[in-house]
Amino acid sequence: MSLTDRIAKGLEAGWKVTDASTLTDNQTHEADVVIIGTGAGGGTTAEILARAGLSVILVEEGRLYYQKDFKMDELTAYASLYQEGMSRVTKDGAIAILQGRCVGGSTTVNWTSSFRTPEPTLNYWADNFGLENLRPEAMKPWFDGREERHTVSPWLTDPNLNNDILRQGCDQLGYSWKVIPRNVKGCWNLGYCGVGCPTNAKQGALTTTIPGALDHDARLFHGLRADKLVMKQDRIDHLVASAMSADTVTPSGVKVHLKARHFVVAASAIGSPGLLLRSDIPDPHNRIGKRSFIHPVNATVARMPEKVDPFYGAPQSIYSDEFNFREGVDGPAGYKLEVPPLHPAMSSGVVPGHGAEQRDNLKQLPWMQSVIALVRDGFHPDSPGGTVSLRDDGSPVLDYPVTDYLWDGLRRAFHTMAEIQFAAGAEQVRLMHLDSPWLNSWSEARAAIDELPMELHRVRLFTAHQMGGCGMGEDPRQSVVNGFGEHHHVSNLSIHDASIFPTSIGANPQLSVYTLAARNSVRLAGKLKG
Amino acid sequence: MSHPPHDQKPFSAMDRRSFLRAGLGGTLFLGTVSVTAGLSGCATAPAGRLNAAETQVDDGYQFQFLTHDDIELFRALLPAIVGPALTEEPEPRRQAIAGTIERIDQGMVRFGPANQKELRKLFDLLNFGLTRVTVARVWSSWPNVTTSEADAFLERWRTSGIGLFNNGYIALTKISNVAFYGHPEHWHLSGYPGPPEWAMNALPQFNNA
Repeated sequence: MSLTDRIAKGLEAGWKVTDASTLTDNQTHEADVVIIGTGAGGGTTAEILARAGLSVILVEEGRLYYQKDFKMDELTAYASLYQEGMSRVTKDGAIAILQGRCVGGSTTVNWTSSFRTPEPTLNYWADNFGLENLRPEAMKPWFDGREERHTVSPWLTDPNLNNDILRQGCDQLGYSWKVIPRNVKGCWNLGYCGVGCPTNAKQGALTTTIPGALDHDARLFHGLRADKLVMKQDRIDHLVASAMSADTVTPSGVKVHLKARHFVVAASAIGSPGLLLRSDIPDPHNRIGKRSFIHPVNATVARMPEKVDPFYGAPQSIYSDEFNFREGVDGPAGYKLEVPPLHPAMSSGVVPGHGAEQRDNLKQLPWMQSVIALVRDGFHPDSPGGTVSLRDDGSPVLDYPVTDYLWDGLRRAFHTMAEIQFAAGAEQVRLMHLDSPWLNSWSEARAAIDELPMELHRVRLFTAHQMGGCGMGEDPRQSVVNGFGEHHHVSNLSIHDASIFPTSIGANPQLSVYTLAARNSVRLAGKLKG
Repeated sequence: MSHPPHDQKPFSAMDRRSFLRAGLGGTLFLGTVSVTAGLSGCATAPAGRLNAAETQVDDGYQFQFLTHDDIELFRALLPAIVGPALTEEPEPRRQAIAGTIERIDQGMVRFGPANQKELRKLFDLLNFGLTRVTVARVWSSWPNVTTSEADAFLERWRTSGIGLFNNGYIALTKISNVAFYGHPEHWHLSGYPGPPEWAMNALPQFNNA
């Protein structure tokens, strides 16, 4: 392996990285701060605290994978880099959950889209949750700083055809579109962001903040699952964690106890509420795990007259916010329009079907184009979100009811996506719906979309953005943490991930997580050093 | 899909009520069938390594999650799920199906305990004679099910008004499709040329065998 790789070099240079599957004895370690999770939130926190001179231990349930492991292969990547081997779903099985489970978390497998939290969202939070300090003007310097840290800028290379078709359709119909800002440096425009960036171009946690923290003496345990935070009187005393075997799914039996002055939970909007619930963290108003949001996603695929090769090129470069806030921040459900990459395994799992029909669907992959809609949930009384609870074995599960309010948004999104694809010259369009045939014209599609049942399982739904469940707010009766991610009731506990969002945000969340974590970590470092 | 959208009328109120009742029954069945299957002696241990007589192609693969019965189930279903994309030549066809079942097993190992438990319920329901007949309405045991019977079963679950069955349809077809079409030997079926050659030649992780 060439030593130009940041991780390979660091390991060679003696970074304190422990693969917990190699541990044979129970052990205890201590640091100023223990951080649970190494994604957008945990990585940012670790780097800032370590650079401030605090001793830091990072805990990651997934394993450390890096350039040597990223071979542009879907099946290997889905099994190793994603939660539950890419089989994670909501409690009733109706919504597929795409979420990273590796060092770097979802930033290791996301499609690099890097949006600031939309201004209407920040203002809605200020108006409804008492989060005055998060108004756009106050957040601007923090976004600036994180965009610099993660090399975020609009994608200046031509979009691939898959994305360009979204642009063309919007142009035809007079809908607005924009170029997506991406967190990449020297990107080869290959199209494999979702299976681990093979060139180290992606500036996710894995190539930025995690190495930054490890360079400053932070210690990383991977393959180590955080089981329980143990309280002593009104403070957390230590974390109990289980080493996972090399198979990544079975605990080896070795227990690790981690003591610290302060604990930062950044284990995702499913993992963080799960850990707090397992730990019986004080929750007098029963808020932990409530108001979980997912940007429910539906999709259409089109067959285009020319080859699209939707598996190549930067996966996301064009988006449209035409319908995101059009009806006001809290009106009928708004949605953001984007494009997904289509590789064979992903496509064969997303396009429902079997037999000759499925063979014929997939035969068309090089001519296929897809649009997705991300519905902005949580801004309306009829969109209260889902609930994270614990299964018998202590693992967290998200129950997410799809309300009529959301079905209305999903149906309108189907209309928009099919309209855009036909406007861009699609020969046929199919909804990702069990009952959808290939539709031959916009008028046929319009009629079909009005008829088709908007029902769980029949409509294929997805989420790549998990948010909420430990919501922030000034009122402890309605939130878990304050506007700085500090727990309302436990003084040495902070939460630094997307679980603190009081609603969804209406954009891909990584930059929002980096930014809030940076802002809250600078404050935390000041307090702990003080 | 062969039928136009106007064939997809919403279910009548009568249908809806009977579906709801059956749906409740279905949930109970899924909840209890694993216990029943265990008590009645269905094999629920991973199959381990199959011998050559069982697989007709002994490549030494060790099954870690799928049981002998599950393997029979997929041998019956895969010809309906991916069969039309396969060659008719018996030997390569058998090998492609055997390989797909192995990749299904590999994938499921990484699904983790919670989802494995759900799959176990589904497979036990389909493998246990009483529920196979009453819930899945498949009359023969899986080794005796024809491809068109397997296809009819999948269509019933796909078009059913009961979400639980739709969910079962998705679970069975999704894992099969992904394990089949995602495999490099089958990439040509979706016209996918694979990762760009020039990039692989230039990247260190492909150059240190």
